[in-house]
Amino acid sequence: MNQAMTLANSFNWIVRHRVGAVLFCLILFPLLMPYEALAINILIFGLYAVGFNLLFGYTGMLSFGHAAFLGVGSYLCGIAIVSGGWPWWAAIVAGVAAASLVGLVIGYLAIRTRGIYFSMVTLALGQIVYYVFYKAESWTGGENGLRGIRVEAINLLGWQLDFLNPITKYYLILVFVAAALWFVSRVLNSPFGAVIEAIRENEQRTAACGFDVARAKLLVFVLSAAVCGLAGALRALHLSIVPIDSLHYLQSGQAVMMCLLGGMGTFFGPFVGAALFLYLEDVSTAVTTHWMALVGVVFMVFVLFFPKGVWGSVLHWLARKAATEKP
Amino acid sequence: MSLPILEVENVTKRFGNFVALNQVSVAFQPGKLTAIIGPNGAGKSTFFNVVSGLFAPTEGRIRFQGRDITGLAQHEFARIGIAKSFQITNVFKQLSAHENVRVAAQMRASRFALLRPRDSMKALIEQADALLERVGLAALRNKTAADLAHGQQRALEIAMALASDPLLLLMDEPTAGMSPEETVVMMRLIVELSQERTLVLVEHKMKLVMGLCERLIVLHHGEFLAEGTPDEIRNNSDVRRVYLGEG
Amino acid sequence: MGEITPSLLMLQLMTGIGLGAVYALLALGLSLIFGMLNVVNFAHGAFFMVGAFMGVYFLALTGNFWFSLVLTPLAVGAIGLLAERFLVRPLYGRGIDYPLLLTFGLSYVMVEAIRIIFGIEGVSTSTPAELRGAVNLGFGHFPLYRLFLIGATAVVVLGLWLFIEKTRYGLIIRAGSRDPEIVRVLGIDIARVWLLVFGIGTAIAGLSGVLAAPTRAVNPEMGISVLAESFVVTVVGGMGSLPGAVVAGLLVGIVYSMTSLFMPELAELSIFVLMAVVLLIRPQGLFGKAGQMG
Repeated sequence: MNQAMTLANSFNWIVRHRVGAVLFCLILFPLLMPYEALAINILIFGLYAVGFNLLFGYTGMLSFGHAAFLGVGSYLCGIAIVSGGWPWWAAIVAGVAAASLVGLVIGYLAIRTRGIYFSMVTLALGQIVYYVFYKAESWTGGENGLRGIRVEAINLLGWQLDFLNPITKYYLILVFVAAALWFVSRVLNSPFGAVIEAIRENEQRTAACGFDVARAKLLVFVLSAAVCGLAGALRALHLSIVPIDSLHYLQSGQAVMMCLLGGMGTFFGPFVGAALFLYLEDVSTAVTTHWMALVGVVFMVFVLFFPKGVWGSVLHWLARKAATEKP
Repeated sequence: MSLPILEVENVTKRFGNFVALNQVSVAFQPGKLTAIIGPNGAGKSTFFNVVSGLFAPTEGRIRFQGRDITGLAQHEFARIGIAKSFQITNVFKQLSAHENVRVAAQMRASRFALLRPRDSMKALIEQADALLERVGLAALRNKTAADLAHGQQRALEIAMALASDPLLLLMDEPTAGMSPEETVVMMRLIVELSQERTLVLVEHKMKLVMGLCERLIVLHHGEFLAEGTPDEIRNNSDVRRVYLGEG
Repeated sequence: MGEITPSLLMLQLMTGIGLGAVYALLALGLSLIFGMLNVVNFAHGAFFMVGAFMGVYFLALTGNFWFSLVLTPLAVGAIGLLAERFLVRPLYGRGIDYPLLLTFGLSYVMVEAIRIIFGIEGVSTSTPAELRGAVNLGFGHFPLYRLFLIGATAVVVLGLWLFIEKTRYGLIIRAGSRDPEIVRVLGIDIARVWLLVFGIGTAIAGLSGVLAAPTRAVNPEMGISVLAESFVVTVVGGMGSLPGAVVAGLLVGIVYSMTSLFMPELAELSIFVLMAVVLLIRPQGLFGKAGQMG
């Protein structure tokens, strides 16, 4: 019984200091991965999933258009560097700002609809962004994507950091991810965070209590877009290119899958989901070309039998254990 | 006579071809405990939903303290001082009782603060606990709402409605589905609350309203039939015909 | 670009109607499934694609286009029945997003399955011999096959309308989409109805695939963009509305086709812009019920 109690206590401590706990894992992460590029990918897509989770897991709005924010973040960051000659940090800001703006427009239109209709509409609106960027070849490179986003050396307070070194790259990106996670955690813990969870639980009730539900939804939509935009900007810097498929709804579907596999509505879940998804992809594409079928099957299995996701199920089990073994 | 706290003026509500309310005009006096009664199908629920802001009337106007509030959005109603409790219990099932009330109370305090930790808002926490105490749920503070007994969930609804400190509290069949003991507790609470705020109930348990309310309004087939004190209504021939004659 | 004559406009309009016919069928299936089951079938594009492949396969197998036209929807519908019974049905109580998520995963599996069976390149198609050539419509020559496509769609729409409005089963479907509880209380096995509706919806998607196959490239990815396009049609028409699906389908086809004539660069974009405009002025769609969606 004592064992269970200290388990519950340490568990509660971790939850309260969740940002630190997650960062602790992420700092050690590169040591666990077979190669750094995978670790970096997990970091970036983990952030993408965190942004998406804000809207889906916490507010209950299933968007299928989030690739628009990832992609816009990537493209605007890239364009700022390639066409504008901007410094890398300004390009990141440009990416995040552009993604937030697109989030505002898409959010405004999509929030006029509800439930599963919302999923359809966000998918279609995201495709608008895809086609626009596809056609604007002179800016975006069209079908071939944007190329030549060269960032080699980063000047930080007099230190010259080699961005091409994968380990340096990982920890630099981690700084941004850490800042974003801190921000997301604060928002979730705030009164506003209580409102969006209430909206997920019972939208009608939330309105009856006096909250402007539409405005709250729009705000969380934009915040979600901003976080995904940051992930996109970091991805552009990492890959040095932006593939056009970053904007396609299949990329949106990837966020959905990662979130569900990891655990929606949990803080660490999206990272677990991203890690699981990308690791699985890495391992399977080495042995088969039919990765898509595997993903589909695994996803359906989770939807049917493990909707809480890996991390969500772990948390649920821990909570039950702690509750049943109290004196 | 003072200014009515709520005035309903020639309100009609249509759903497609079905006329749920037809030219209903009613005024509610502040401080009086009023009940809307009528046989099944009288339009009580529709009336409740219109005056509580769930949907706007097809025709007619609604005035709150003299101000025209027709067509105002649902969330505005709570902000201006009209709160409600639902007929079918409508709480946040996965949150604890305390969290339910705290969310409701938050509306007054701060709505869109993005970076402040919730736990630091001490006044809000105390207010939520005080409200729970008021409705007798203090001991069940941390219990998940879904695990509360039916009567306790109804009490939670009331606490949430009170959280916005409303001038006018609308209650849709507050004792629905309650055991006799729970009903007594609820009635006591209603009497208490009616001393400090204006309460309007929708009820179909006649015994309850007769003994309790100062004023009754009777609806029938979506139209206004009669209003008055319980005695006046008891002796009203139209009302007797509708309730006893037609069966 | 050349001169835009009235006959050219008319021909382009006819092309749009031909394109719209396929959209109308797709949207019909989607709306039917949504109206009855409250499920958005994210595998709808995949069913369309499977229909196209099966059409080519049955044609090669039997040598007869008409056989393949009949067999394909039956085969695709059968897959739909299996999917509903074993994959979607367990999720009905769960929450509105789960069936949607499942069909999304299903679409991945279906695309990959076709890749495994038929290869990644796709298959070549040609217009069936009986339907080759062009017809003189007065303002110009129009491909006979596309005329047939429009006609076939009209027949299917009429057939579906008759089924829904005039038969007992159609009555149950209409009642069930409005109030599933009542249907249950009346002793009707609602699960059987759901199964049937999902089967019909996916069968129609398969039919639109086999009909569309001679007019476009048949490859495993063809359903991916089609899904987005059918969503546009359902938003414009109104989710769950069958007349809306038909009208919006034709409208979207015409908008696409006319934009291709004047501003070919913006053709794909134009239909999404149409959807955005509809969302702004009438979020429930042309035929949708106000308050249900927007």
